[in-house]
Amino acid sequence: MKLRIPKALAVGAVAAAMLATTTGCGGILGGGGSSSSADTGPIKIAAVIPLSGSSAPTGVYMKNGMQMAVDEINAKGGVLGRQLSLDLEDGACDPTQAAAAANKAVSNGALISVGGYCSGATLPTLPIFNKANIPMIIPAANSQELVNQKLPNVFMINGTGTQQAAAAVKFMVKDGVKSVALVDDNTSYSKDIATETKKDLASDGSVKVALSTSVTAGESDYSSAVHDIMGANPDMLYWTGYYQEGGLIINQLKAAGFKGKIMVADGSVDPSLVKIAGSANAEGVFATMTQTPDTIKGAETWIANYNKKFSSAPGPYSTQSYDAVRVAAEAITQAKGTKGADVIKALEGINGFQIFSGPLKFTPEHTLSSGGFQILVVQGGKFVLKDALS
Amino acid sequence: MTQLVWNGLFVGSFYALIALGYSMVYGIIKLLNFAHGDIYMLGAFVGFAMLTSVGVIPASMSITALLIVLLLCMVVTGGIGVGIEYLAYRPLRNSPRLAVLITAVGASFTLEYGVSAVAGPNPKVFPVRLEGDSFTVLGARISVPQIVLMVIAVLLMLGLNAYIQRTSMGRAMRAIALDTKGSLLMGINVNKVITWTFFIGSALAGAAGVMAGAYYGKIDFLMGFIIGLKAFTAAVIGGIGNIKGAMLGGLLLGLLEAFGSQWLGGEWRDVFTFGVLIAFLTLKPTGLLGERVTERV
Amino acid sequence: MSDNVDTTRAPRRIGKPASRISRLFESRQLGWAAFAIAVLFPFVLASNYAMSIGTTAVIFILLASGLNIVVGYCGLLDLGYIAFMAVGAYTSGIIAKAWELPILFTIPAVVIMCILAGLIIGGPTLRLRSDYLAIVTLGFGEIIRLTANNLAITGGPSGIYGIPGVDLFGLDLSGPVPFYYFCVAVVALMVLGSARLGKSRLGRAWRFVREDEDAAEAMGIHTYKVKLAAYIFGAIWGGIGGVLFAAHLSAISPQSFVFLQSALVLMAVVLGGMGNTRGVVVGAVVISLLPEFLRDMGNLRYVIFGVVLVAVMVLRPQGFWPSRAYEPEKLDEARKGKRDGGPRPGAPVTTAKGGTP
Repeated sequence: MKLRIPKALAVGAVAAAMLATTTGCGGILGGGGSSSSADTGPIKIAAVIPLSGSSAPTGVYMKNGMQMAVDEINAKGGVLGRQLSLDLEDGACDPTQAAAAANKAVSNGALISVGGYCSGATLPTLPIFNKANIPMIIPAANSQELVNQKLPNVFMINGTGTQQAAAAVKFMVKDGVKSVALVDDNTSYSKDIATETKKDLASDGSVKVALSTSVTAGESDYSSAVHDIMGANPDMLYWTGYYQEGGLIINQLKAAGFKGKIMVADGSVDPSLVKIAGSANAEGVFATMTQTPDTIKGAETWIANYNKKFSSAPGPYSTQSYDAVRVAAEAITQAKGTKGADVIKALEGINGFQIFSGPLKFTPEHTLSSGGFQILVVQGGKFVLKDALS
Repeated sequence: MTQLVWNGLFVGSFYALIALGYSMVYGIIKLLNFAHGDIYMLGAFVGFAMLTSVGVIPASMSITALLIVLLLCMVVTGGIGVGIEYLAYRPLRNSPRLAVLITAVGASFTLEYGVSAVAGPNPKVFPVRLEGDSFTVLGARISVPQIVLMVIAVLLMLGLNAYIQRTSMGRAMRAIALDTKGSLLMGINVNKVITWTFFIGSALAGAAGVMAGAYYGKIDFLMGFIIGLKAFTAAVIGGIGNIKGAMLGGLLLGLLEAFGSQWLGGEWRDVFTFGVLIAFLTLKPTGLLGERVTERV
Repeated sequence: MSDNVDTTRAPRRIGKPASRISRLFESRQLGWAAFAIAVLFPFVLASNYAMSIGTTAVIFILLASGLNIVVGYCGLLDLGYIAFMAVGAYTSGIIAKAWELPILFTIPAVVIMCILAGLIIGGPTLRLRSDYLAIVTLGFGEIIRLTANNLAITGGPSGIYGIPGVDLFGLDLSGPVPFYYFCVAVVALMVLGSARLGKSRLGRAWRFVREDEDAAEAMGIHTYKVKLAAYIFGAIWGGIGGVLFAAHLSAISPQSFVFLQSALVLMAVVLGGMGNTRGVVVGAVVISLLPEFLRDMGNLRYVIFGVVLVAVMVLRPQGFWPSRAYEPEKLDEARKGKRDGGPRPGAPVTTAKGGTP
């Protein structure tokens, strides 16, 4: 049985190769592929974002932000005389589904991508868009791994994990914290921030890492982590995971009598954090966060428009998603066309285009020069600006 | 140290409550009820629905309200457990075990994603929260809600034990566990007893769900999966099919986990737990209190 | 995909003669027909998207046919099958990245690792009773995923990315259409292999063990070794599936190997018909494509899955397209009336008679 396989394999492979070359060179049969995107008609903007699964609520915020930008631009006559059309694909925060969704978007004739929320699910979509030569402006996903891929078509307009860690360390030093406990939830996003923070703290030297541990996401009882934190007795806990577990940990820490400060990363900045932790427990919790509509000065009209349009308040990543579409439109305008290489060049050349986090200019790594991270604090059950760190 | 022990015992009492249902059902019809952990989740959501529909509950009434909801939830989840048995397991009573197990996996899926479709995939914040002072005993910080929940759990377990040992239904359960055919010949209504077993096991898991919701404050539709596995592990450690073994196993697993994550780090805790499970199953499949099982498949 | 007429069937058939439709379904040409459909698919639809889900479906067929060896042939319920795929994907990903090897060169290492994983997981557990085995495999599946999540060599929670596509003798097969054909070729051979295995001497031993382990042992079959062999073959199939998966997605992370995935592969096997390669292939295609068609239904599709699983087990426990060879036995059993659970000493004798060479 085993001996017969190689021969058969070879025969099969040759047959497959022959077929592949005939179909491959014969111009893709049955249409499809990115060739269908003509130079006239609407410009297709793709976004792979979570529309089902546990991250779906954020997906809605992102979707609305994008839709708002698209509608505004179209009302002004579109880009280069062409209307924009948004192609939303559900990535469900799952790598396999996101890859299929990205392929679907490419097949639908997308010219530029403005999606990407979960870093783990965004990673496999990068090569797909890269192969199709489609520029990506990632509004939310911000793991350092995305940068490490060094793909020319990938641009990130959210601060990276490294930048978030730097902001966290800056605030810790400023606040006079002497020792800190780092707890992550063992996901790509969370571990990234924790590792970078540890690195920055080591090079800074004035703050000691009293504890660095991971918990398992999706559980209820975090008493062992709480026990470790109480044992290490740090001045501050920095939780780098999401709000579901963050709320529970804050609650259980306070119940155990923790007196130190607590800071959370941007994945925990959600009204539910306060609800799960209990409003008394959450009071005074710090957070590292890029701008949210609530913390941006002069965003009141924008928020009002958003409220009117979707009859709900904007949430995390609404602004970044809105900006991603605007940046895409700007780049296409400057490139005077939708050819991938030209748009990428235009994106690299953007200098001073005004977005929520300030004038935009990409670093050679295609990230924001400053992450725009600031420190929020929970006051009266809401996240408000504490320190802009500038 | 004492803190770790207390933490372990507290978590362990949840495991024990769920493990009881696993163990009872297994002892009586040799079925591994895979959906049992999801009954725990369902209990939490039923409690959530009841408390939300009632509206605002004054803080002074919260314990009373919670106890009433707890009892109601036990009835509802018990009924659902019976329903699952009737629809999914009873038709397969004489089928190979593989078929029944797959059915159980299917039932588990239906419950999980059914709840997610009805209540939405986002975690829910439980409307009533047990709050209370805490004090220190022998260096361990113990809070009043923890004690309340422990007392409820212990009462439920003692009640179950008395039921199994003292009542005629309990005797019938033990008889069926020993010899199904023999009990049938002795005039025991086997189907009725099995229905009761499912009812009691599911009610206990539902109670654990409500308690978890009230104590931790957050519930989500996948909360039953991991805890179901843990409870099974507890049942195996104690000796599956043995009621006291399930209680002992639950508490022991809680302790093992508390110390395991202390030694190995939080991220390795579940690896440690499943390692213990595998070690037990290979080295001492009868568990600590289980009797030798001669039957083979 | 191949012909699956079971030559082990007892020469004297019990029950009605096969109807015309049954004969059509038993036809030897069906495998070729399925292969032809797979080959012609890109001529109908060749968009990246279609190729992507096509490739996913083909890889899924491979996984299902591998699990079929374990669950279908040998009757060992494995709830952590995706762990083998993880082992394969990670092994090939790590090696291909570390030494910059073409991904196909990692296959020997993958096979070795999978055999090892099969031995490690199967070794201590296969002596257990079947329902214990199910939970233990589930536990092992979680252990493998958590370990991949915790170790540095596996890239931690972000996993491994930038895995090269397939390159065959300098021929780049990483484009969507060529890679699809590559997968179809590999999977067709593997499926053929698993079908042949089912008919081999070992395959007959597996079926015998499934039907009655005690009787099998009494007939001189070393049941432990036979079960371990099923496990190892299943592991290899899963591992190759992992290699294709890694090459397809170019990035792997622990999130891809959760219990849900194991359950989906199991569903494909059960729905299609345990033990029948054709049924399993159809089941795999349905299970892997259905979510794409039900994309808008969100979580409801898993509810449907769950209900279908229960309904199939209750109403048609042998699956939609079961292995025909066992129907006579089923009839036989029905005639004798329902018996108590546990071992059924009488029933398998018919199989045993035919099964002895």
